Amino acid sequence: MTEKAGMFHLGWFMNFMPPKSWRGRWGGHDAENWADGQFFVDFLQSLERACFDFMMLEDSAMVPDAYGGTMEVELKHSLYAPKHDPVLLAPILAKATKHIGIFTTMSTSFYPPFLLARSQAVLSHLSNGRTGWNIVTSSEHRAAQNFGMDELWDHDDRYDRADEFVELVEALWNSWDPDAVVMDRQSGAYADHTKVRTVDFEGKYYKVRGPLNTLPPLNGRPVYCQAGGSPRGREFAARHADTVITAAVGIEAMKEYRNDVRERAERYGRDPDSIKLLFVSSPVLADTDEEAQALVARSREVTDWKAEETLAHLSALTENDFSVYDWDEPVPELTTNGHRSTLADFFKNSHGKTLREAAANWQIGGVALVGTPDTVAERMGETMAEVGGDGYLIAGQMSRRYIGEITEGLVPALQRRGLTRTEYEYPHFRENLLAF
Amino acid sequence: MFHLGWFLGDSTGIHKWTGSWASTNGKDWTKPDIYIDLATSLERGGFDLLFIEDTAMVEDTFGGSMETTLKYGMMAPKNDPMMYIPLLARATKHLGLVGTVSTIQYPPYLAARQAVTLDHLTAGRSGINVVTSVTHRVAQNFGYDRHLEHAERYAMADEWMEVVSQLWESWDPDAIVLDYDEPRYADHTKVHPINFEGKYFKCRGPLNTIPGPQRRPVVAQAGNSTPGREFAAAHADTMLALCKNPDEMKALRLDMDERLKSHGRKPADLKILFMTIPVVADTDQDAAEIVRRAELERTSDEAITSRLWYLSYTSGGTIDYAKYDLDGPVPQEIGVGETTTSKAWLENSEQMTLRELATGPFNYGMDFVGSFDTVAEQMGEAMEVAGPNSGFLVYKPVTRKDILDITDGLCPALRKRGLIRSSYDYSTFRENLLAF
Repeated sequence: MTEKAGMFHLGWFMNFMPPKSWRGRWGGHDAENWADGQFFVDFLQSLERACFDFMMLEDSAMVPDAYGGTMEVELKHSLYAPKHDPVLLAPILAKATKHIGIFTTMSTSFYPPFLLARSQAVLSHLSNGRTGWNIVTSSEHRAAQNFGMDELWDHDDRYDRADEFVELVEALWNSWDPDAVVMDRQSGAYADHTKVRTVDFEGKYYKVRGPLNTLPPLNGRPVYCQAGGSPRGREFAARHADTVITAAVGIEAMKEYRNDVRERAERYGRDPDSIKLLFVSSPVLADTDEEAQALVARSREVTDWKAEETLAHLSALTENDFSVYDWDEPVPELTTNGHRSTLADFFKNSHGKTLREAAANWQIGGVALVGTPDTVAERMGETMAEVGGDGYLIAGQMSRRYIGEITEGLVPALQRRGLTRTEYEYPHFRENLLAF
Repeated sequence: MFHLGWFLGDSTGIHKWTGSWASTNGKDWTKPDIYIDLATSLERGGFDLLFIEDTAMVEDTFGGSMETTLKYGMMAPKNDPMMYIPLLARATKHLGLVGTVSTIQYPPYLAARQAVTLDHLTAGRSGINVVTSVTHRVAQNFGYDRHLEHAERYAMADEWMEVVSQLWESWDPDAIVLDYDEPRYADHTKVHPINFEGKYFKCRGPLNTIPGPQRRPVVAQAGNSTPGREFAAAHADTMLALCKNPDEMKALRLDMDERLKSHGRKPADLKILFMTIPVVADTDQDAAEIVRRAELERTSDEAITSRLWYLSYTSGGTIDYAKYDLDGPVPQEIGVGETTTSKAWLENSEQMTLRELATGPFNYGMDFVGSFDTVAEQMGEAMEVAGPNSGFLVYKPVTRKDILDITDGLCPALRKRGLIRSSYDYSTFRENLLAF
């Protein structure tokens, strides 16, 4: 373990949608061609070359209209839509790579548990044990209304359901014993029926007979990722997750979050080192520190366009209409049924700013990582040493240029410092994730 | 000319894994390789489509136990086919790819979105086979105590299809603007909520992704009961049919022509694919020898058990054929599952013993036996009687030998006679399917 001391993990947060970079320089043609999946194949192969632990494919199922009561601003910026189902991209990504982990997002509020259990099992087989499930409960009424509900259940209720949901899908994955398949060519017996059991699950929310009609995922279950920052969300993560992604801002908040999740995990009898906390960050890289600072300054220029984009995004996320507020007044006080921590972070960084300024300046997560690859690598190492671990979830702009800056610039600088891996040691995703 | 489809009757599940030519199917059925070999061969052969069946249960009707099911690998284990389609898409260029989606398993929004995501990943070659599921055991994996009655299943499916169809139309063809200067991705006035409220489903919409090359993926249907025919006449581009002779083929075609007209559609809008299990070989004699051996094998205990298992399954889980005396009369009850199949199997069985039925001909669609040229000739003659707008759905064991017998033995003989396509003239599946 000593040689691995100080090493941390890398993931990348992305969505199966037109890369946001389409409207800037270096946008290429990916806004036209994204839907065929090739951009994402190229993307993942770059991440694998850089020995990332995983790509996290986020998902949502709605076209928001919270901002101004219309889909106009949403579709102008293409914030949430169009977005394809990432579960169908994962097989292609798996086939194009050999080592990297692939998380797909599937919502416990919208998927029938049997369908989800089976889909994740299939992905595990197709990827040779490299897929994971990003467990979300969804947070938007608009998405719920696409699935027959008038409104989504309350925040804590969703997590209670999710607990039962996870219990149920695990029961389905365990409904085949590891040695159930005998494949005896002599007697012609494929599987031993005494090692396959119905689950007869009757919970408060779900009812499923089982057994699963396919083989369990490799290693028993997929790797779990979770992103809830609220106390109830942290409790859920501490109980189930292998990796937790968080947008905690600043070293103190990062430390607090990490320690809190680890303590909660211990209360569930888990080894806290079996949960890897990855902090959202978007490094800004350039040839010199000055150039990188200049890039940041330029990105902070307050424009209506940026303010509108952020406010439409926050409106969709929290289902509050930010269009009704005066952009030149201080930021209003609001509550939300979903994405509570995101909104709290927005408020925290808004003191003394107008809504316009706060919105135009808003960036998610972490600590400022600005400079040359060496500068940023150094800072990432120092930050991790202070926080205690366990890695970063890169969530910068999806563009071929930015991907290259990270994988060809930053990662080699991290690797030279012994901070991130230079090869994958194990065949399966979870083993690599827990290797340090 | 007529169309050709391949029926992957065991979905992406366990296939023939013992005996000649089973190769490594026993352990490799979860991997994409055999399906990729199948799909590329079908394209070489000039097939229109690959039709992938699916079910989601481990049956225990026969003998009240999962033993027979799991001993032989009967319809379980089975992986969800949807996730294999992206991989087949990348290995082929023209073949239509149809995955089965059950209306009691998939929320309509999820199905609509997956089908469209696949339409992009296949560049316009995706299709869904809409089924209502056959047994209580499936329903019990999805929260039901018992499956709905046959007629109600179709009423529900009709509404399900309506929701899916409306979601597919929720983005106008010119909704995507991609104005790089403003910048603006899409025009919100051309994206519409559907606000569907029916008896079984409620869905707000719009879909959160953009239409694919076909806009409406191809819709297939597999039931031949009256409600099944009505569903096909209203919604489908192609349907699977079980007929035992050319006159039955013709009668079904005429019946469907009338139904299509009453739904305001043309006979050419729906291609009927007649199920067939052709026995082909180098010579007529060789083929007859294969049939002779198969008849002998049908009397083995194992073969009888397997046939009785299928009868139990198609009864919808209502009749356990293990309970009856093999040398007694055949129970004449039809059950509530695959009613068309059950009727075909039980036809003229009043005077038979159960053993005679179980060892008799398989009666699953059209029988063709002979050399490649003989069968090609017979298929052409049958289709002459049936009339235009039809084709065959070939159902063979999934071994590379069986695949090649058809794609590289039978297909050239059919093509030589001008009976099947020699090229794909259009870029999308539906255009090719409707080309003749």
